[in-house]
Amino acid sequence: MTQPVTPDLSARVGSVLLKNPVMSASGTFGYGLEFTPFYDISRLGAVIVKGLSLLPTPGNAPGRIVETPAGMLNAIGLQNIGVERFVNEVAPRLDDAGATYVANIYGRTIEEYEAVARRLSEVPALAAIELNASCPNVKEGGLAFGSNPEGLSGLTRRVRAATGKPLWVKLSPNVSDIGAIARAAEEAGADAVTLINTIVGMAVDPRTRRPKLSNVTGGLSGPAIKPVALRMVWEACRAVKIPVIGIGGIQDAGDALEFLLVGAAAVQVGTANFRNPNACVEIVDGIRDFFVREKIFRLDDYRGTIRLRD
Amino acid sequence: MPQGSPRFVHGKILHNSGSGIFYRMEVAIPERIDFVPGQFAMVSGWPGNDPLLPRPLAIFRSGGVRGKGTVEFVYKVVGRGTALLSGLHAGDPLALTLPLGHGFEFPGEDRSWWLVGGGVGFSSVFPAAVALEGQRADFEIFLGARTRDQLPPGEWIPGGAVPGRVHLCTDDGTAGFFGTVAAALRDRIDRRKSTGPSRVAILACGPREMLKAVTELALPLDIRVQVSLESSMACGFGVCWGCVTAIRDGEKSGYRRVCREGPVFDAREVIW
Ligand SMILES: Cc1cc2nc3c(=O)[nH]c(=O)nc-3n(C[C@H](O)[C@H](O)[C@H](O)COP(=O)(O)OP(=O)(O)OC[C@H]3O[C@@H](n4cnc5c(N)ncnc54)[C@H](O)[C@@H]3O)c2cc1C
Ligand SMILES: Cc1cc2nc3c(=O)[nH]c(=O)nc-3n(C[C@H](O)[C@H](O)[C@H](O)COP(=O)(O)O)c2cc1C
Ligand code: FES
Repeated sequence: MTQPVTPDLSARVGSVLLKNPVMSASGTFGYGLEFTPFYDISRLGAVIVKGLSLLPTPGNAPGRIVETPAGMLNAIGLQNIGVERFVNEVAPRLDDAGATYVANIYGRTIEEYEAVARRLSEVPALAAIELNASCPNVKEGGLAFGSNPEGLSGLTRRVRAATGKPLWVKLSPNVSDIGAIARAAEEAGADAVTLINTIVGMAVDPRTRRPKLSNVTGGLSGPAIKPVALRMVWEACRAVKIPVIGIGGIQDAGDALEFLLVGAAAVQVGTANFRNPNACVEIVDGIRDFFVREKIFRLDDYRGTIRLRD
Repeated sequence: MPQGSPRFVHGKILHNSGSGIFYRMEVAIPERIDFVPGQFAMVSGWPGNDPLLPRPLAIFRSGGVRGKGTVEFVYKVVGRGTALLSGLHAGDPLALTLPLGHGFEFPGEDRSWWLVGGGVGFSSVFPAAVALEGQRADFEIFLGARTRDQLPPGEWIPGGAVPGRVHLCTDDGTAGFFGTVAAALRDRIDRRKSTGPSRVAILACGPREMLKAVTELALPLDIRVQVSLESSMACGFGVCWGCVTAIRDGEKSGYRRVCREGPVFDAREVIW
């Protein structure tokens, strides 16, 4: 009997080599250590930590999440401990888990983004920095920079100059031409683009006549956004040469494979972690099983092989 | 600190049936879990992605021997998730993350305990009563509901056979004390004054307005109160920051996660 060949799932995002293409999405995985009771997080391609700002941020008032059909709205407002406490208290513990880490950052001004990126450049445990140019939930949370090519290009250029780490730019879906936005990030020096962040949405209570979120609007995530995310990732893959990281509504290996087929270099999994803390590793295993069944030996032989016509 | 390390397990329903307005569901899980009263599970048992998120339910009871465990919940149907749960049968699969959160604390000092449950809030208060019964501690239970048929069945109430131990209250006076649990507590406090002071601590779970009323009644009298809060949750284990409540913690007030730092908080810290 012949042994089944273990497929090579390794993925490359620019200069960052991942053992597999599955990463946890920022804001849905804490600092990663919260998942160590469930499984060995070094089995993931990478862990993207919760968005970090220059100063600790209290976040929005409660009334922060609302469930919607096959999705959820959140308006967390990027509550986080700030970059200083992250560097001093969390970063020293990251190496113990043996995982690949990427920090997700945001600022209210370009200067704040630069300061956070500069500070994180000194953290050896971080393989890359992911710039969140797209949070819909804080007034100055990047969306102002990320919603037009000029704004994004200016922000990316400045942060690019502030850090020697690989820079991934996370794009907003709340734009009319995602290709143009992705190109702006590429031209300004991004090493990769990540998309999509959440889609701006809203929910109202008919009885109290109040918005269900204290922030009135929030970001929609989960299976409900997958078709939009997949279309945007496909468009971005055709618009740029740098790697595209696909994200939005991925629940299982089948969903992840769709993003890889349209050309994503890797994927991130967000909301699925809430229902099933093992979602990310189950997706890694599911991709491997699929490749074994389909006799695909390397991720690179599969990525981007969507058949548009016969 | 969260108590005990959480697990994500696939269970199988042993039974799931209604008693009045409450459902009681027992689930077989791969291993025995220990829990602190007040801790909870995130439960999802329906196929498909809608509803997407699991539902938090207090752990009512756990059992089992090495290699096999059971866990029990009591719940009330309020919306889609709990309605779907109520439609599940013995043999159906259920996914659970448990035990979660920070439960009630039982400092060892000599005192009597008043356990206060409003509505289905008794589901986290009864395990506390069972624990206190095990310690042979002195406790009384106050249960509030809108009407008689919204009270839990008598045989569910731990120590219910002991006279004077259980105080039922209904808003419409159809059973027990005519009025809210807070009013019944005030009554009890007045009677305590006449029988001389003893150190009392309150553990409470129920609607937020009830918890607020109990807190405002007890704190000025130097009665320590622990409250179990509810919140909409997405993850239940501390990563989404969706469930927060405003807490004052010395100088540092701010938002704390109900699922992780709570659901049980010292009532002095809660900003209502
Ligand atoms: C730590 C914790 C422990 C809990 N333990 C129990 C328990 O042991 N037994 C039990 O019956 N319930 C318990 N609950 C409440 C239970 O989680 C909710 O009733 C349930 O999530 C509602 O889901 P649904 O899909 O049926 O309702 P939805 O369709 O989500 O909502 C229907 C209605 O219920 C309200 N609602 C939604 N979530 C909550 C909530 N968390 N609390 C109060 N009202 C809510 C909504 O505002 C809406 O009006 C607990 C909640 C928490 C946070
Ligand atoms: C509760 C929550 C918090 C989030 N926080 C961040 C964040 O801090 N930074 C960021 O770039 N994206 C954040 N996101 C967006 C996710 O990383 C992801 O882009 C989005 O949820 C879509 O993926 P999904 O459908 O798999 O969840 C957050 C999403 C959720 C649901
Ligand atoms: S429910 Fe996710 S942090 Fe509490």
